[in-house]
Amino acid sequence: MIELSGVTKRYRSGEEWLTVLDDVHLTVEAGEFVSIMGPSGSGKSTLMHILGCLDVPTSGSYRLFGRSIEQLSAQELAWVRNQEIGFVFQNFHLLPRMTAQKNVELPMMYAGVPRRERHRRALELLAQVGLADWAHHLPNALSGGQKQRVAIARALANRPALLLADEPTGALDSATGQEIIDLFLSLNVDGMTVVLITHDADVARRARRIVRIQDGRLVSGAGEEGRS
Amino acid sequence: MNWAETLLSAWTAIRSNKLRSFLTMLGILIGVSAIITIVALGQGGQAAVIATIESPRLQNTIQILPKETLEPGLPQPDQVLSFSDQDFQLARQFPGVADVYYTLYGQATVASGGRVVNASLNAGPQYLNEIAHFTVVQGRMFTVSDVLAHRRVVLLSPSLAEKLFTGSSRIGQTVQIGGQPLQVIGLAEPAQLNLLGNFLGTDYVYMPATTCRDLFPWWSISEMDVQVKPGVDKVDLGNRIVTALNIRVHDSNAFEESTRFYAGLEQTIGQVTRIFTLVIGSIAGIALVVGGVGVMNIMLVSVTERTQEIGIRVSLGATKRAILLQFLTESVLITLIGGVLGVLLGVMGSFVMRAVVGLPTAVSGWAIAVSLVFSTLIGLICGIYPANKAARLNPIDALRYE
Repeated sequence: MIELSGVTKRYRSGEEWLTVLDDVHLTVEAGEFVSIMGPSGSGKSTLMHILGCLDVPTSGSYRLFGRSIEQLSAQELAWVRNQEIGFVFQNFHLLPRMTAQKNVELPMMYAGVPRRERHRRALELLAQVGLADWAHHLPNALSGGQKQRVAIARALANRPALLLADEPTGALDSATGQEIIDLFLSLNVDGMTVVLITHDADVARRARRIVRIQDGRLVSGAGEEGRS
Repeated sequence: MNWAETLLSAWTAIRSNKLRSFLTMLGILIGVSAIITIVALGQGGQAAVIATIESPRLQNTIQILPKETLEPGLPQPDQVLSFSDQDFQLARQFPGVADVYYTLYGQATVASGGRVVNASLNAGPQYLNEIAHFTVVQGRMFTVSDVLAHRRVVLLSPSLAEKLFTGSSRIGQTVQIGGQPLQVIGLAEPAQLNLLGNFLGTDYVYMPATTCRDLFPWWSISEMDVQVKPGVDKVDLGNRIVTALNIRVHDSNAFEESTRFYAGLEQTIGQVTRIFTLVIGSIAGIALVVGGVGVMNIMLVSVTERTQEIGIRVSLGATKRAILLQFLTESVLITLIGGVLGVLLGVMGSFVMRAVVGLPTAVSGWAIAVSLVFSTLIGLICGIYPANKAARLNPIDALRYE
């Protein structure tokens, strides 16, 4: 499903060029649960942005579902983000002025799903993450764990094939974090491909495969040997 | 997202920051309401001035004026300024003429028992009530024989009678006008005809034209009204009478039919009010532009504040176009609401001017339409740069923005 080959990302910093990702090769098959683990500054967030089609590599190629991402137009990339990828962020990134239900509906609004169908699906998703009674609450009335559940429901709205989570437990206490990881695991059991980015070894260990990244290079788990 | 959702989302954004949104639209609101009120004043004033200047006359009437009275500047010494009795006799002889009359309007002092009141004097034929628009509420109107016999009879408006007499009986009393005694034969209530009426007062004296000429022989007869029999070609008859009058006084240019004069007058007044409206309107237009700058400023602030929101929306699949439309809709909605509120305030202002201050106003549909289109345009023009800035944000930087 995901094929990164020779992906390099450089940023210009003053006179110097800063290499954030260096010749990254990574393959993720459909149905996998992969953790990408590394310390801060290791380039894992940049990797996540490239995987999520929010950023493009300086060189190398990224094929998602067999399509070369670098050949897609901005509009096609927006469509990929909308339909094929679900994002979960460390700080939840819910829109504060919208209720939980409206937040979940947002990706469906950009997809042009009719109103009635959107409502139904949003309530269904919120029920699925255990928040059926919280649909009409604004994010600031919810706890951290609840917010992350809303964010996960939103990520699932357009039935994407790939879930990308960037430090999803980073802002939660460890018990709540475990619950969120449990939710990811159960989604994975139902067939969802999950790529989770974290610096926390305890969280990473719960994935079926761990990819370690350091100084922009994948140090282990990039190929077949990482799979258990 | 379809347009209804875009609109709803813009409305939510505007509502979530009520005070700021209101202050932002205030500039547009004030500009638009000023334009609506000023145009209403200009148009109302123009209509009222024209109605006042055009001397009243009956339907199916040709009005002939000495041309010299129509020209600007001082009259030439040898020019005809007034009609003579011979002119009237001449006009009466034309076939197709039903009647020829003239009216006299002026100010006169009316005295009775030591009381002196200044009043508007209207004099004319026995059907003057149809020309000057008044209703006899007590007593009688003067008759054709009163006119022919130059009888010293008058009708007073009730407000004038109130000022002159203390007792309850007014009919049969005597008043002094131009040093001559006249008998009051009736009370006549003037109709409110035009909006300037408020400024003209309600004290009126009506009398036969012949009587008035006896009292004030120096008043010139500056118009001749020719009533035409049904089925007669007005234009042709008018031209023939004017030609005959000009031949009689040996001056091909002495008299003229009044249509062209009034058309010219309306044009001149129209030009004056247009310039007035344009000058004050451009000041209001500046207010609109300043308002637009305010909208642009707030939209830029809003884009910066909502950088993270933009990043989130992009990560959820929003296209550049969707982001652009979101902010553009918001900006247009702000100026359009401002415009609508401005129109409401302007229309209210015009009615207040009319009701309280007594200034004539006529709210113009055009001014409303132009204001609304203009405020929408301001929203578009001032929204495009901030919206474009939002759409061009790098999603990663936007997501990281705190």
